[in-house]
Amino acid sequence: MKKFIIKIIFISLPILLSILFMEILLRNIPNDYELKKEYLDEHSSEIETIILGSSHSFYGINPDYFSTKTFNASHISQSLNYDFEIIKKYQNNFNNLKTIVLPISYFTLFGKLEAGSESWRVKNYIIYYGLNSSKSLTDYSEVLSNRINVNIKRLVSYYVLGNSAISCTRLGWGTSYNSKNARDLVESGKTAAKRHTRDDINSDKSQQIFNDNILALNSIIKWCKDNNHKILLLTPPAFETYRQNLNLEQLNTTIKTTSEVCSNYDNCTYMNLLSDTNFVSKDFYDADHLSEIGAKKLSRLINEKIIEMK
Amino acid sequence: MLFNSIDFAIFLPIVFILYWFVTNNNLKLQNFLIVAASSLFYGWWDWRFLSLILFSTLVDYLVGIGLSKQENKHKRKVLLWTSILVNLGFLGFFKYYNFFLDNFITAFTFFGTEIKSNSLNIILPVGISFYTFQTLSYSIDVYKRKLEPTKDFVAFSAFVSFFPQLVAGPIERATHLLPQFYKKRTFDYSKAVDGMRQILWGLFKKIVIADNCAEYANLIFNNSADYSGSTLVLGALFFTFQIYGDFSGYSDIAIGTSRLFGFDLMRNFNFPYFSRDIAEFWRRWHISLSTWFRDYLYIPLGGSRGGTWMKVRNTFAIFIVSGFWHGANWTFIVWGALNAIYFLPLLLTNNNRNNLETVAQGKFLPSIKELAFMLLTFGLTVFAWIFFRADNIGHAISYISEILSPSLFSIPKFAGMGRALTIIILVVTFVFVEWKGREGQYAISNLGIKWKRPLRYAMYYAIIIAIFWFGGKEQQFIYFQF
Repeated sequence: MKKFIIKIIFISLPILLSILFMEILLRNIPNDYELKKEYLDEHSSEIETIILGSSHSFYGINPDYFSTKTFNASHISQSLNYDFEIIKKYQNNFNNLKTIVLPISYFTLFGKLEAGSESWRVKNYIIYYGLNSSKSLTDYSEVLSNRINVNIKRLVSYYVLGNSAISCTRLGWGTSYNSKNARDLVESGKTAAKRHTRDDINSDKSQQIFNDNILALNSIIKWCKDNNHKILLLTPPAFETYRQNLNLEQLNTTIKTTSEVCSNYDNCTYMNLLSDTNFVSKDFYDADHLSEIGAKKLSRLINEKIIEMK
Repeated sequence: MLFNSIDFAIFLPIVFILYWFVTNNNLKLQNFLIVAASSLFYGWWDWRFLSLILFSTLVDYLVGIGLSKQENKHKRKVLLWTSILVNLGFLGFFKYYNFFLDNFITAFTFFGTEIKSNSLNIILPVGISFYTFQTLSYSIDVYKRKLEPTKDFVAFSAFVSFFPQLVAGPIERATHLLPQFYKKRTFDYSKAVDGMRQILWGLFKKIVIADNCAEYANLIFNNSADYSGSTLVLGALFFTFQIYGDFSGYSDIAIGTSRLFGFDLMRNFNFPYFSRDIAEFWRRWHISLSTWFRDYLYIPLGGSRGGTWMKVRNTFAIFIVSGFWHGANWTFIVWGALNAIYFLPLLLTNNNRNNLETVAQGKFLPSIKELAFMLLTFGLTVFAWIFFRADNIGHAISYISEILSPSLFSIPKFAGMGRALTIIILVVTFVFVEWKGREGQYAISNLGIKWKRPLRYAMYYAIIIAIFWFGGKEQQFIYFQF
C-alpha cells in the first residue's frame, strides 16, 4: 500500500506542480474581467449609468459618448444571470446610479453562459469577480477551464511576446472589433444567426433556460424599481444578412416577451433597434456587432433616450 | 459526479484513503463507506433521485427475503413480479411515459381523432436503466434459486449503488458482484497498479478520442443539410469513435476504479471494431447488456431453439428491446432492428459462432480475408450508428440519402478542417494501439510492462499530457442519458 501511494505521489507531483505554476502565471495576466472589477470596486459609487450585457454591448456601447458618468460592465457572452450577479455584488455601492442599460439580443432569453460553448468563461466571474456561482470545481481554475494549448498560447502571448490581454478601454468598451478589420457581412450574418438560434426552442431544457432568464430579467427590473433607477432594455441593431437568417419564432418570442415584461414596470423602457435603418453596412464590424463607427452612433442614441427618460 | 471532472479527482483519493486506512479493513465499515460514497457520488447530480435508488433497493431486498421464506410457487411468482413491476414501472415512467403518450396521440390523430396532449416535464434520473437492470438480475436469480438472498442490507445497498458502475455500468450480475461484498478485501498492489493504468486509458479514450470526435460529429450531424455526402460519412465515422471512446472509456474507468477497492467487475468491451461479423461484434460491444438480455430475455423466450420463425422472433425481440433500452425514440428501435437484420443471416445459417477467438491471434497483421470481413462489419456498424445518432428517422434518412448522392465523391469540407485532421491522426494512432493490445483486457494492459521504469513513466506522462492537451471542460458521458 505504502509503495502504491508513494508511486502515485511520485508520478502526480510534477503534474500538480506544473498545473499550480501555470495557474499562478495565468492569473497574473491582466484581463478585462479583472480590470472591470477593479473599476467597479473603486468607482461604483460614482457611476450614473451602467451598461450590462454581452458582446453586442461590449463592442456596441461606448461610455465616452454619454453625458453622465457611464461604465460598460458587459462581457462577451455574459448572460442575464451574470448581469444580475454583478448588480447584486455592487448594489450597496451604487449611490449615484440612475440608469441601467440592458441589451436583450435575439439569443439573450434562450441562452445561458454556463450552458453554451462559451461556458469556459464562467471561471472569470469566479476568479476575478469573486462570484460563487458554479458547482463545478473546474470553474475555479484557469488551467482546468481551457485546453492546455490555449493556456500555453496565452502565456506565450503575454510573457514572451509581450502582448496585452486587455481588449477594452478603462470605461469598459471593447476595442478589438474595428472597422479596419471588419468581416464579410454576408457570411458572418449566416453563421452568427445559426450560432444564436436554438434548434430545440420548445424542448424542456430551452424552456427551463427561458424561464430562468425571465426570472433574472424581472429581478433586475424589480431591483431597479425598488431603488428608484430607470432601466432601458434594448435590442441592438443588426445587419440585414443576420436578420434574414433568424428564426421567426425565437425572434418574435424575444421581442414580445421583452415588451410584456417591460410594460409591467413604470421604470422600464424598451427600444427595439434590430431593424433600425440608421445603421448601415459601414457601422458594422460583422453582421451582428457594431464597429467603432456604429458604436458611436448607438451610444449617442442611447444617451439621448436616457435624457428623454428623465 | 463525472469521472472526467476535478470533483472526482478529489473524491476518489479521499474515499480510497478512508476505505483502506480509516475503516481498519472492517468489512461492514467498508461496505457502509461504499454506500455513503456512492450516495454522495450520485447525489452530486440530483440528490432527489437517491430516494428512487433507495426504494428500488428496499423493494428488491425485501423481495429477496420473501423469496427465501416462500416455497409456494404462486406466491414466489407474485414476489418476482412485484420486483419486476416496481423496477420496470419506474423505468417506464421516467424514460418512456412521454414517448408512449406522444405516439398514442399521433396514432389517434392519424385516424382522425384529436386527443389533448398531456405530456409531463419528466427529468430522467441518471443511470436508471443501469441500476434497474442490476437489481432485477438479483430478484430473478434469487427466484431461480441461482443465488442465496442476502440478509445484509448494507452489502445489498452497496451492490446496487456501487459508485464506479452505478450510472453507466457494466451492468453487474448479482451472482458475480454481490458475493464480493461479503468477502474480506485486502489491498493488492498489482491489481491497484493495473486499475490505475486502466483508469488512465479510459480517461484518454473519453477526453482525447471521444470528446474531440464529438466536436465534429455534433457539428456535422447538427447541420447535416449543409454538407456533402463525403463530409457526412466523416461525421458518421467521428460518431463511431466518439461513442466507442465515450462508453468503453467509461467502462475502463469504472473497472479500474473498482480494482482500487478490491473488486472485479465484468468486462464490458472487447475491441468490438475488430469484429469479423455482427455476431462477434455483439459478443464484444456492451457485453454486460448483451449478456443480460441473452440470459433474462432471449433464453427465456426460447433462444435459438425451435423453428426458423421462433429464431427470427426472438432475435428481433432482443435487438429491438435492446435498442429501446437506449432511449425513447424510434431511431433506437430502427438501430436495434437493423442489427437484428444484420445478425439473422448468420443465425439462420449457423454461422453466428464462427469467430470466437481474437482476430489474427499471435500475429501482427490480419489476413486479407479477415481484413475484408472486419471492414465490412465496421461499415455495417457505422451505417447503423447513423440511426442511433440522428435526431429522428427523417433526419437519418436525409443523412443517408445525401451520402448516397454524387456528393459522396467530393472532398469533405467543414469548419475547423485543420484541427479535425489532427483528430483523425489521433484516432488512427488510437486504433493502432488498440490493435496492438487487442489480446489484453484493455489496449495498454500489457504495454510497457517489461520496459525500463523511465520509459514506462514516459509513456504514462505522454498519455497524461495528451489528456491535458486535447481536453477541454469536462463533457457528459453519452450513456448517462440512457
